[in-house]
Amino acid sequence: MKTVATPATPHPVRRFWYRWRFHLNILLILIPLGFMPRYFQDVALFRGESGLGQREAGTVDVGPWQLTLAEMRTLPPAEAGEAGFFKQFNAALCEGCSEEVKATYLRIGKPRSLRAAGALFFGSPYRMSTNLPVPTNTKDDALVWVTMEGWDGTVHQGSIPLADASPSTLAWLQNQGDAQ
Amino acid sequence: MNVTRLIQLGFTLAVLATGAGQAHAHNPLCLCETSDGEEIRCKGGFSDGSGAPGVTIDVISYEEEILIPGKLGDDSSVSFQRPDQEFYILFDAGPGHVVEVDHTEIPVQ
Repeated sequence: MKTVATPATPHPVRRFWYRWRFHLNILLILIPLGFMPRYFQDVALFRGESGLGQREAGTVDVGPWQLTLAEMRTLPPAEAGEAGFFKQFNAALCEGCSEEVKATYLRIGKPRSLRAAGALFFGSPYRMSTNLPVPTNTKDDALVWVTMEGWDGTVHQGSIPLADASPSTLAWLQNQGDAQ
Repeated sequence: MNVTRLIQLGFTLAVLATGAGQAHAHNPLCLCETSDGEEIRCKGGFSDGSGAPGVTIDVISYEEEILIPGKLGDDSSVSFQRPDQEFYILFDAGPGHVVEVDHTEIPVQ
């Protein structure tokens, strides 16, 4: 007499897994959807649709010109290895200034000379950008200096307190001091 | 494609994406040190790891007088004797690409 081997009945959990595992594909749609709000916020920020940056610091008078300064993101400075810490700022020249201004620099502390005027803004005059070096020993009452060089050779300077330019940077500096 | 290969591919893409972000950063850096307090050695470069041979590096007094003009050597470094007065070192790779090192910030190794 022959006996026929019957396959063992799989465990209900295993059966459930084999039946439904393919529906994990839904996650391929749901997970990216979760990132969409952040993505569109970033796109608006990079395209300037949500303003000059995440936080506008104000307008700095620089001789006959004005510069509107903004933090790209309201985050502490980012580390760039041995080069130290950098904070990204955006800026816009005043109406009619773009024809007159050759270069715009940003520096913490008053520049010693035009040669050492600091980080150079680049990009469209309506939305320029630069990475400002932030020394870790910067004082709480430090000023952020804007140096502008005109095509006529004139150089003008203006400043804004770091506390107004970037409260997040000031808070980060104070935390650095507390940590030390 | 099995799961292991998929994970390897994801990891590789993540590493490449991270590396792209770091390669984009091109901030100048200048590190100076002295062993005996007399001879100062400075090394210049950029935060993406590239060197800066031939880039101007000047030793300048607080009165804006260039005390020691110089350029970085093939190894992106230069050595000079400490001046007798207050000074700062200016690594100058072009407008906006400068690093200042004050004489008070030079560590003794």
